[in-house]
Amino acid sequence: MKPAPFDYCRPSTVTEALEALSSAESSRVLAGGQSLVPAMNFRLTDVSLLVDINRIEGLASVDCDPGGVTVGAAATQTRVLEHEGAAGVVGGLRAALRHVGHLQIRNRGTVCGSLAHADPAAELPALAVASGAMLAVSGPDGERRVDAADFFIGPFWTALEDGELITEVRFPAPPPGSVTIVDEISRRAGDFAVAGLVAIVEADGGAVRSASLVGFGLGGVPTRLATAEAAIRGWAADHPADTIAEAVMADTADAFDDIHATSWYRREAVAALTARAARRALVAEEAA
Amino acid sequence: MSLDIDPHIRHSTRHIGRSVPRREDRGPLTGRGRYVADIKIAGMLEVVLVRSIEAHARIVSIDTSEALAVEGVQAVFTAADLADVKTFPDYIPYIGPVRQRPLATDTVRYVGAPYAAVVADDRYIAEDAAALVAAGTTYEPLPTVADLDQALAPGAPKLHDHWESNCSFDVAPHKPEVDRAFEQADHTFTETYVSQRQTGLPMETRGVVADITDGTLTVWSSTQSPHMVRSTVALMLGMPEPQVRVVHPTIGGGFGTKTHIYPEDIVVPWIARRLDRPARWIEDRMENLVASVHAREQRHDVEVAYDDDGTIRGVRCASTLDMGSGEIFMPGTAPVFVTNACITGGYDFPNMQARTTGVVTNKTPSGAYRGFGIPEGAFVMERIIDRVARLTGTNRADLRLRMLLQPGQTPYVMHGGGRLDSGSHTESFEQGLEMTQPALERALARYADDPDVRVGVGYCNYVEPTSPSYHLTTGHWGGGDAATVRVDPDGSVRVAAGLSSFGQGAETVAAQLAADALGVSPENVTVVLGDTERAPYGLGSWGSRGAMMLTGSVLLASERLMDKARAIAAHMLEAAEADIVLTDGAFHVAGSDQPSVSWAEVGTAAWIRYVDLPDGMEPGLETSGYFHPENLQHQLDDTGKINAAASWSNGAHIGVVSVRVSTGEVRIEDYIVVHDCGTVINPALVEGQVHGGVAQGIAGAMYEHFQYDPDTANPRFASFMDYLVPTCAEVPRMEVDHFESPAPEQPLGVKGCGEGGTVGPPAVVAGAVSDALSEWGVDLTECPVTPVAVRAAIRSAEAAGAGAGS
Repeated sequence: MKPAPFDYCRPSTVTEALEALSSAESSRVLAGGQSLVPAMNFRLTDVSLLVDINRIEGLASVDCDPGGVTVGAAATQTRVLEHEGAAGVVGGLRAALRHVGHLQIRNRGTVCGSLAHADPAAELPALAVASGAMLAVSGPDGERRVDAADFFIGPFWTALEDGELITEVRFPAPPPGSVTIVDEISRRAGDFAVAGLVAIVEADGGAVRSASLVGFGLGGVPTRLATAEAAIRGWAADHPADTIAEAVMADTADAFDDIHATSWYRREAVAALTARAARRALVAEEAA
Repeated sequence: MSLDIDPHIRHSTRHIGRSVPRREDRGPLTGRGRYVADIKIAGMLEVVLVRSIEAHARIVSIDTSEALAVEGVQAVFTAADLADVKTFPDYIPYIGPVRQRPLATDTVRYVGAPYAAVVADDRYIAEDAAALVAAGTTYEPLPTVADLDQALAPGAPKLHDHWESNCSFDVAPHKPEVDRAFEQADHTFTETYVSQRQTGLPMETRGVVADITDGTLTVWSSTQSPHMVRSTVALMLGMPEPQVRVVHPTIGGGFGTKTHIYPEDIVVPWIARRLDRPARWIEDRMENLVASVHAREQRHDVEVAYDDDGTIRGVRCASTLDMGSGEIFMPGTAPVFVTNACITGGYDFPNMQARTTGVVTNKTPSGAYRGFGIPEGAFVMERIIDRVARLTGTNRADLRLRMLLQPGQTPYVMHGGGRLDSGSHTESFEQGLEMTQPALERALARYADDPDVRVGVGYCNYVEPTSPSYHLTTGHWGGGDAATVRVDPDGSVRVAAGLSSFGQGAETVAAQLAADALGVSPENVTVVLGDTERAPYGLGSWGSRGAMMLTGSVLLASERLMDKARAIAAHMLEAAEADIVLTDGAFHVAGSDQPSVSWAEVGTAAWIRYVDLPDGMEPGLETSGYFHPENLQHQLDDTGKINAAASWSNGAHIGVVSVRVSTGEVRIEDYIVVHDCGTVINPALVEGQVHGGVAQGIAGAMYEHFQYDPDTANPRFASFMDYLVPTCAEVPRMEVDHFESPAPEQPLGVKGCGEGGTVGPPAVVAGAVSDALSEWGVDLTECPVTPVAVRAAIRSAEAAGAGAGS
């Protein structure tokens, strides 16, 4: 479990980082390294140059305004989790980060790194899709903005091109009065989800008005549960959960099998989580 | 055995029976533990083993030229280079001989099998070169067998060409009384129970450092049995035993995996000798998961005969062990024999006919893991009892109380010859039931308003053979152990024993024993373990034997030492030996505490001031005790039975679980243990053993599972992402209570307690979850009990038409 030889550099500006990234065949960005470094130690990933972005001025910032939260590329998950304003604006950040790994992992791991890594069972990519997050990407050809919905292409595969770097991601504030729920089933505390759900639910008068529902741990990318989003409109606590479950089944036909869970289990579990999220949102609405 | 604390010793404080603080924790807790990986020797080379990526293949050729060309690579060795090394001995006559070579010769039989060794200046270079050796290896793949069915199928590919089949052994006794039970019983059923593949998983992986200086080979190995490693290294490398020294430095857990003697224990010393340079190999975690033994993979095909009133009349159980490739020394064959020997637990159940079979497959060799077969059998028995209770409408706890051994029923000879010398089988379960009531009420109240949650209770009553024979396991070694006790000129005491210590607290226990046996304070006792040069021949620590072996050997040596010390003191005090007593470290004549002589004065006389010795007395104050427990048998008797343990501990485990029906999530709400390991030397250590054991039991009950691809026999695991070890977040609160039924034939009544904790959880969790889901008729027959397994059980019950409310 020792990595193959590689070069390392630690630029101090984004420009230098981009130059470095373009200078080598298989260069990779090192932010928290919580997935990349083990993969290198397992010799599962071929890296010739590591570009460490942790000393780039301003890249670790977390900025908050009433419209949303902007997280810099080097901002750790702990920094976001403990940020005083962020949770108030985008409640989903705290709800999602609570499930990410363990304290030691969050102390190093970054929000943008998790998005770039694009593990299909991770919480943050699903939150980005559910909340309509926007990523700022810099590359040899300049800057561009990518909607989270277009960013995830497949397992561990994103819209990032060679030599590109996510510089920040902006999570917009959810609709006023909505509740963001991040719920998952994992084999152990802190594990990647066997099946999970991000639900941003607006309720009104004891019924669901609308919901943004994105599952994770189901397919290669965060899974928008579009049928369920339609089916859940107008749902109230005394309605049967069957309609929600059927809709989730329709949305998750591609769910995968692995040693931790079968496809049918993942689908059933996300259906159960969706009904649970709707109930929780209605309880929250009643309390508010 | 009449060994006891000398009645002439008076203590103001006795240490046996008290929670004397552990003396072995300071190093590991302060980062000052010295593990094998911490040993640095100038000029030391780094060894990396190249391991098979094929589950079954002939090795056609190995091209090492590219690896040898890497700067910093000193050598690459393959099996051909090790021709002067003897084969691992096949000591057990009734199992298939595997003729294991330290490096695979022409055939590899599991992914992870070592077939070449790269020696380089550091580990990075060695791994770079190992990758080149791997790339330079040409295999001719052979068909694989990934499980028992494939291995036993007619015409199955054979792992070992010189065997008739993949069956290593098959012992099938026939009991006419069991046939009669089946003829007479009201009903029968058949079922198959499965125990999944796991491993002991010590925090510290294995490691070996070897160095030859002045003709003596020193081997630092993370092993549980240094003397056995010494004998085997000397044998295989053709060296005199006195020229081989094996040391285990600080060890970060073993759990049975380090009882085996592995290829690296031979290859690394061989490299050190061949290159005349110190060499080291440290197992990384990726290797550890395929290169250290696995365990527990067994299948149990049972037939059960029972009556309408719940009486179980007879059981036939065919227990089959998946041995992996079988290429491990000592062989991993014994656990399934222990499974069958202990399967009836604390129950009075003679009508058991148990067949014992071992089969090889293209997987990592299986071997020892804390519990050593006991949990597998307990699972089968408890699941059978729950099934019969359900089929006959009998209360599950009541049925167990009807079956358990009653007070006064010991000694009791079990169906296979195991002789339960004592115990609290009924009392422990009754106490556990009483402790369960409030826990159950708490759980029911907690989920009263949640229609998605069900609550259930699971039971296990087990026996734990302690201080067993090693002859059945190794075909070679026996089952005793030794200690040497010395009092130095300054009166300090030194105890050296053949036991090992890797977390259990053996050093603390040895100091407590010597303190009471010699009337001194434990602070005055220095304990030396785990070094063949400094301690007498012993078999190390495994089989819940440390406490009893230390008790026997330390008391035996101390008794001899006290005889001599008293004679010296009597001479110095000009009194009769019979009148001498020892009070808080001072020898004096009974009835008068002055004049007195101290241990230092006696020690000084024995070693230095011979003028103070009685005329003609041999100088010195060092004695040894070689302890072999009474009634411990090493070979089967005429009827095929054996009592292979010196004494038997027992326990009752009860768990209360909640199950979320919609997702299959299981939570252990409370876990109750009532435990009996005879006389307790150190209550805190016993408590710790129970807690750790239960945690590992829960690992097997709910999390850990080595899965292989059925088509290729390739591992479906590479790291802790796939092999799930429970953490403190998964292990529940435990309530532990004790009984003390002293071992009537053993010194101080001491039994062992190292493994019992692992036994209960699989049976308890499966029983409790099945109980919680009884409205569906769920009856789990295997572990781990995962959310998927729970949902699958509910779905299949619903599909079978036994849905809720029916």
